[in-house]
Amino acid sequence: MSVFWQLRWFFKEEWRRYSIAVLALVVVGLAVLVPPWITGRVVDAIAAGTLTLERLFINVGIVIGIAVLSYVMRVIWRVALFGASYSLANRLRRDLYRHLTTQSPRFFQKHKTGDLMARATNDIQAVEMTAGEAVLALFDGALTGILVLTVLVTQISWELTLIALMPWPIVGYFMWRFGQELHESFRLAQARFSDLNDKVQESVSGIRLVRAFGREGIEDDQFNAIAREANRANRMVARTDSKYDPAISLAVGMSFFLSVGGGAWFIVHDQMTVGELTSFTLYLGFMIWPMFAVGWMLNLVERGQAAYDRIDELMHTEPDIADHGTFEDKTAPELDISVHEFRHQPDGDATLTDILITVGAGELIGLVGPTGAGKTTLLDLILRLQQGPDVDIALGGHRLSEFTLANLRRHLACVPQTPFLFTATLAENIALGRPDASRDDIERVARIAQVHDDILRFPDDYDTLVGERGVTLSGGQKQRVAIARALLLDAPVLILDDALSAVDVRTEQSILAHLKAERAGRTTLIACHRLTAIEDADQILVLEHGHCVERGTHRSLLAAGGWYRRTYDYQQLERAVEDGR
Amino acid sequence: MNGTFSRLLRYGLAYRRLLVQAIVLLAIATGGNVLGPYLIKVFIDSYLTPGVWVITPIAGLVIAYLVSQLISAVCFFQQAIRFNHIALDVVQTIREQVFSRVMRLPLAFFDHTPTGSLISRITNDTETIKDLYVNVISVVIQNAIRMLGILIAMAFLDFKLMLICSALVPAVVGVMLLYQRLSTPVFQRVRTLLSDINARLNEGIQGMAVIQLMNQQARFSRAFEQTSTDHYRAKIRNMLIDGLLLRALVDFLYMLVLAALLFAFGWDFLSPEGAIQVGVIYAFLNYLGNLTEPMIDMISRLNLFQQALVSADRVFQLLDETPESIPTQPLEPRDGSVRFEIEAFSYDRRKTVLTDIQLDIEPGSFVGIVGHTGSGKSTLMSLLMGFYPVELGTIRVGEVPLDRIDPAIRSRRIGLVQQDPFIFMGTIADNIRLDLDLTDAEVEQAAKQAQLHEAILRMPQGYQTSLTERGGNLSTGQRQLLSLARTLARQPDILILDEATANIDSHTEALIQSSLMQLRGRITIIAIAHRLSTVMEADHLVVLHQGHIQQQGRHAQLMAEEGLYKHMYELQQQKDPLVGQGIEAGQDS
Repeated sequence: MSVFWQLRWFFKEEWRRYSIAVLALVVVGLAVLVPPWITGRVVDAIAAGTLTLERLFINVGIVIGIAVLSYVMRVIWRVALFGASYSLANRLRRDLYRHLTTQSPRFFQKHKTGDLMARATNDIQAVEMTAGEAVLALFDGALTGILVLTVLVTQISWELTLIALMPWPIVGYFMWRFGQELHESFRLAQARFSDLNDKVQESVSGIRLVRAFGREGIEDDQFNAIAREANRANRMVARTDSKYDPAISLAVGMSFFLSVGGGAWFIVHDQMTVGELTSFTLYLGFMIWPMFAVGWMLNLVERGQAAYDRIDELMHTEPDIADHGTFEDKTAPELDISVHEFRHQPDGDATLTDILITVGAGELIGLVGPTGAGKTTLLDLILRLQQGPDVDIALGGHRLSEFTLANLRRHLACVPQTPFLFTATLAENIALGRPDASRDDIERVARIAQVHDDILRFPDDYDTLVGERGVTLSGGQKQRVAIARALLLDAPVLILDDALSAVDVRTEQSILAHLKAERAGRTTLIACHRLTAIEDADQILVLEHGHCVERGTHRSLLAAGGWYRRTYDYQQLERAVEDGR
Repeated sequence: MNGTFSRLLRYGLAYRRLLVQAIVLLAIATGGNVLGPYLIKVFIDSYLTPGVWVITPIAGLVIAYLVSQLISAVCFFQQAIRFNHIALDVVQTIREQVFSRVMRLPLAFFDHTPTGSLISRITNDTETIKDLYVNVISVVIQNAIRMLGILIAMAFLDFKLMLICSALVPAVVGVMLLYQRLSTPVFQRVRTLLSDINARLNEGIQGMAVIQLMNQQARFSRAFEQTSTDHYRAKIRNMLIDGLLLRALVDFLYMLVLAALLFAFGWDFLSPEGAIQVGVIYAFLNYLGNLTEPMIDMISRLNLFQQALVSADRVFQLLDETPESIPTQPLEPRDGSVRFEIEAFSYDRRKTVLTDIQLDIEPGSFVGIVGHTGSGKSTLMSLLMGFYPVELGTIRVGEVPLDRIDPAIRSRRIGLVQQDPFIFMGTIADNIRLDLDLTDAEVEQAAKQAQLHEAILRMPQGYQTSLTERGGNLSTGQRQLLSLARTLARQPDILILDEATANIDSHTEALIQSSLMQLRGRITIIAIAHRLSTVMEADHLVVLHQGHIQQQGRHAQLMAEEGLYKHMYELQQQKDPLVGQGIEAGQDS
């Protein structure tokens, strides 16, 4: 129940809607008590023969008035209460998204996408139901129950109330037992459903094997067996589920029986009228809903509590890259990189050791080395996607942490290893960092990135939608769109992190040639596997196990005859094979 | 949509017997239920009001009441179970049909349909159909019969008053139609926006680094907030429609009818010939309460109905796909020879993958097919397996065109050893045996041929060792050997080995090598090799490049030429300097 207490900030904020809702609920709760009472009076007047036309009109008028009043109030509480709970969901969802935008890549490595999605969808929905349905069950269920009981006890007969309610505890017990049973069989049904899912997954993704072995019939048999199991599990659920209605109607029937039997006794002994008995049985019908409401509410609150705790935990995760810098000016694209040591985990092995690089404005730097050597980590440090105590990097003479993150990122444009395209048009994807860019600008950078011709081949050229609902781009096309996107930023420092791997050598050379002309005076860092991409670099660094093992220019490194030379020869041969020579 | 619904209903009509039972039981249950208030009415009017206290008839009433309630409850439970059986069996039938159809669709279908959406149709969409049957169709039938029963009982008591109450029926049907029209578009919009929210969220999470590097956090947050708020507004509208039309309105109608009934009672009493009995009033009021509950129940299930029809439509679309054709007059392949005569092959009729492949493979020979990634070697094998039809050219197996061979025969005659075989939960023996009726000796024989026998004997329970899902307790090499054993157990004439990547250890390579040497000459072996060392010994090597045969001959011959094969060989003698050191988990370069 403490989730209600944790949500008090929201109830306070929305006190108007909640007050209106509770008020309307109270009015409805009271209003619905009137018609049975009126009915009882009319019945009595008929039985006693004292009914007059005038009294009839008044009574019927009251019932119609109550009907209108309770209709209006019912609409009001629903709009107020559920409206409030929906706005809580909207609010939490927006806050969560905003909070996610402040988190570093490390956070997204720690939390799986599916898990984050579950919190933003299912958990928020559970909290929404706590603020809506659970409040309804609490107020309406409890309120109706108490009001009806009060009327039964004080206005009609406490003895009869006691008699009539005798079956209820028994039903309550059965409801509880069915609930347990249902929970268990539902869990089983879910498990069978996921078996079904697994089987289909296996068979569909192994369709080639199925064909190769001619296993269609066997697959059918296996699937049918699982489908049969699922059917059986669902029958169990249905079996328990089907007990609810008869049990309730049996209980209501017994309750009516007892009240009529008991009522008859009281009527004979002149302690009650027939009209009162009629009212009584009508009121009795009102007791069904509160019976359910309590269990329902407890269930909702339990789920809401767990969900809210999970969301709260996420919202209280501080971003590990703090944005405390104040430097907001432009600065020269010179880099002073001094990484004494960097570890991903404090107790893990060093990923980078003793890397010292000075990069002058306008230089082209090449970073090469085997996979796992630490190239991406070094680039991440420059981008301040990661940071470490023994890492000192300055841009234009200012330490990276002195920059506001926004200003730092204005200086750096990066094409990451795996390009990511959003569900949007190609033009929008290229203009990601500058949404106001003109079509001319977009086409210009697309030409430099050698993707313009590819784009013209798509149905709506630059307005073609990419992603699940649009066209699928090849790996090379994606990379080139990402390059165009980075170029459009026109940033002083451009970082290509293995961004040309899926592009063929000819295209790569032509992109690099255009880059050179376009980016005179600005700094470029290229990490790559194919050495052809950095032949013209001012400095080339070879990283191995996080150490800088060779450095120099293409010519000097070839002459040195080390890793660089070996790789160069290997890649020459590889090209010959690729070309079919 | 109407077609979809009647097609769905036809599945249920197949269970005529159960359906009749269910409806009869439901009628009895309803009768018992309706009888209750009537018996109370008799008690009030005949005994209570006049003060007549005769034990026997009153005891009869009591027993009748209790028995009718009990019978009603039991029958109600029984009919619900029957309706559920029908519903669940229908879903099982649909599931079996759609799965079986999917298993027999041409492979090209799988190339252009994402696996995820196929799975979702077989599982999620059929689950929605289940909900339709369990929660909508059977509930509507139940409620309709209950309402009918109540109206009949009312007519028995007082026809005129029944007419007043039955005014509820057209009113509620009107509300249903109105609700359907107003709510459907809003409801769809809520769902669309919810999936937009999920898509944006998913994309935001996956592309967050890009968003941050581009300084676009604020813009993306605003876009998300817009979608989330649109969703909020749509939900409010949906809720408003629900609020105005569902429970509140039915309750309102109920009270109006109650007022009308009261007025009618009073009017009847005040009119000169009035003789309304109190018991009738009591019974009517009771019935009225039972009449409105099923109506609310039905209205609130309308949304589910719409959704289920969309799902059913998708499932039926899949059911209506044409399966792969089976030859009408199948021929038996004569031996293990293969002859490729392919002018050109393309998956999409635009990009040619293979051109001018003329290749003769003698029965019992060992042929290696090599080439760089994307040279077309796997495509060639897919064609031999009959995965795709060859339109320009023919493939003959045992001198018979491939498309004239019965698929069942084909899959027995041509065995494929895959790189990453599927392993299901069961013992090793079961995994080798698969669906064949093999003796233990035969299983062992196959395992020996595949060089897996020794390794199996070293396992805790030998051939009876249980394999976990996806063969987690086997090494990669052992999984491949298992795949080989399983294929050999079927005694194929032609064995195809598809070594798609270079990731096998040298030990496994040596084992496979010696297995092949044993089989050599007895069956035709076609090996697609990435590592040249596995096929150096072949009788014939075919070097593919960009979909055509660039070189062919024996290893020694090809090594004598300055060409692609020699360069590939030299390249493989070296170690790629870029792959080398221990790669830390999760940290690339």
